[in-house]
Amino acid sequence: MGIADVLIMILIIGGAVYMLYRSLWKKKGHCQGCDSVACEKKQL
Amino acid sequence: MSLELGVKSSELRETKRKTITVAVAGNPNSGKSTLINAIAGSRLYVGNWPGVTVEKKSAMFEYEGSKIKLVDLPGTYSLSPYTQEEIIARDYLITEKPDVIINVVDATNIERNLYLTIQMLELGIPVVIALNIYDEAEQKGYRINTKAMEEMLGITVIPTVATKKSGLNDLLKAATEAAANPSRYAPKQLHYSEDIESAATFIQTHLNEHHSSLQKRYPMRWLAFKVMEGDSHMMKEAGLDIDISLIEQATKHLTRAHGDDIESIMADERYAFAAGLTREMVKRPEIRKMELTEKIDKVVLNRFLGIPIFLAAMWLVFKLTFDLSQPFGDWIDGATAGPLSRLAAKAITAVNGPLWVASLATEGVLAGVGFVLAFVPVIFAMMFFITFLEGSGYMARAAFVMDRAMHSMGLHGKSFIPMLLGFGCNVPGIYATRTLENPRDKALTALLLPLMSCGARLPVYVVFIGAFFTTHAGTVLWSMYVMGIALAILMGVIFKRTLFRGESPMFIMELPPYRMPSLRNLLIHTWEKGKHFLIKAGTYIFAVSIIVWFLLNLPWGVESKKDSYLGKTGQVIAPVLEPIGFGNWEAASALVTGLIAKEIVVGTMAEIYAVEQEEQEETTVSEDIREIGASFTAAVGDSIRNVFATFGVTSISAEEDDSVSGLRTVIQKAFTPLTAYAFMAFVLLYMPCVVVAIAMKHEFGTWKWFGVAFGYQMVLAWVVALTIYQGGKLLGIGI
Repeated sequence: MGIADVLIMILIIGGAVYMLYRSLWKKKGHCQGCDSVACEKKQL
Repeated sequence: MSLELGVKSSELRETKRKTITVAVAGNPNSGKSTLINAIAGSRLYVGNWPGVTVEKKSAMFEYEGSKIKLVDLPGTYSLSPYTQEEIIARDYLITEKPDVIINVVDATNIERNLYLTIQMLELGIPVVIALNIYDEAEQKGYRINTKAMEEMLGITVIPTVATKKSGLNDLLKAATEAAANPSRYAPKQLHYSEDIESAATFIQTHLNEHHSSLQKRYPMRWLAFKVMEGDSHMMKEAGLDIDISLIEQATKHLTRAHGDDIESIMADERYAFAAGLTREMVKRPEIRKMELTEKIDKVVLNRFLGIPIFLAAMWLVFKLTFDLSQPFGDWIDGATAGPLSRLAAKAITAVNGPLWVASLATEGVLAGVGFVLAFVPVIFAMMFFITFLEGSGYMARAAFVMDRAMHSMGLHGKSFIPMLLGFGCNVPGIYATRTLENPRDKALTALLLPLMSCGARLPVYVVFIGAFFTTHAGTVLWSMYVMGIALAILMGVIFKRTLFRGESPMFIMELPPYRMPSLRNLLIHTWEKGKHFLIKAGTYIFAVSIIVWFLLNLPWGVESKKDSYLGKTGQVIAPVLEPIGFGNWEAASALVTGLIAKEIVVGTMAEIYAVEQEEQEETTVSEDIREIGASFTAAVGDSIRNVFATFGVTSISAEEDDSVSGLRTVIQKAFTPLTAYAFMAFVLLYMPCVVVAIAMKHEFGTWKWFGVAFGYQMVLAWVVALTIYQGGKLLGIGI
């Protein structure tokens, strides 16, 4: 496994963890796409 | 009793605004959200059952050069501060001071709706009445004199039929006109009996003298009424600290004369006015026929038939869901596992990408996300049928017939509404608990809600049912939902006797008339509910699929997935699952990743068992694309035939053993029907997903209730799975 592979791997895992953090934690469990309080501030 | 010109509270508002703010308020189920959707083309959630709108929501659009912001307020019967909906609606009207209120009044039930109208008039904000569901009133033979209504209330009344977009232009015209000339459109107000008026004048004089700064914030006559009624919420909000003896001095003769409290006396006068006004304005046919709604309700709400009919309706929903969507699910599964995987591998090889990236794309992302996507048709079909039941008015009856069962667990029928929402996704259900007045009811409902089987658990059921229970697919699926409800009742009874002692309050629920939901509304709301799963698949299921692939392939070069990080974690947990029938590392690992979202259980299984699939033949790109198209056509045919099969013709899923996917074949080797059923029960009951956990923290401001839910659900899931597995073994069933 070369250095390029390691870098790609870190990039992919980092991106996946960030996506998880953003969708789960940063949005505080707001149900994405649902019509509950999550979308309260959304201008339709 | 009479109406007089109201206070010119127009001074309280800015006269010129770029955006006209229009609050849409009215009784529950009067069609506010439908009206806003019809006007602004937005997609607010509509259901033919009370309590759909908990929060205020808004929609922006342009009308004849003006920007209009429509604000959908929760449905309320009054502006008294007793429920969360009433507080939200009242606080908005008082503090935000919209330019105009569109008061949606159900034309088939004017008298009850007018109570709220009378309270709104007291706020001094221009009001335009949308006399909605006017077509049904006409069908019933009602003749409504809207001109007389306008004269008596001093406001514009426009007949509307929101579902048919009728009267909307006139309504908007009237609303924008009223917003442009607030002083001209200041509503008349109910003139109470002399005793009440003189007491109000006394209090109002005191307020003007000692709290003059409040004149800019509140209509003073209305504030005086609130003080008389002893509205502590309002007095706290206004920072009023009035000597109780002063209020008593103003009202004691009233309470003595009527033998009741001020609030009840004023409510009586409002009701009397509403009744009188209705008598004047509405002419009803003398001979009243028994309506269709009443005829259906005689059967559906029958004391003995109510619950069996509810269970039968749910069974039919699950059976239709399964039969209609299964061929499409198989098509997506086949397309992602076959042609799409081959296309992705070819694309990566073409750009000289590393082999492991091709493996990540096919065995990680496509196996994980693709496998979850295969269940999107099932989820959409389920949401379609549930939306149909909601829109038809049946769900309100379901809450009514469940009221008795709910009481046995210390709750009332209103708690069943968040639980029904939980069948789609537990998260909006958790947020909907705020419609419950009592903190005890809120917490108890939120604790029981994760036992309602949400759409995310469907993929797990579908895989296992497809592998083991094809001949009784609908019934097995139905049994999962019934098990969730039954265990919620059992846990409710236990909690009622331990954590939540006390009586459940009485609850009066409005039963709306049955209506045929429009196809447009059905499709919009099916999409609104179902798109959540698509977004999930594109975000955290995608992310988890990648992480799971790495966990299955690290340390780098690991020969067996059993020795990977995920495999080792699974091996640590597996012994705990041994007594309940699935003590293998694969199941344990899948359950761990399922804590993020329950669909991921099958996604992870698809990744774990990916190597087990047979080597695929070499094909060209055009052959792959043709295969996707041909299998879709076959899926459409199968789906149509399956729907007929629901009503008696042999089910296709029962006949076609060859169509079971690779994962189902592997699962058939790793599980027995008994362990499969125990596994499904475990997935139904074990810890709510991370999103529900965060929603609980958000709603209650503490991790405490999630902690309780986590603890009891883990124990319950294990005990139930143990009972199923060990019980089945003893009886020799499904081994």
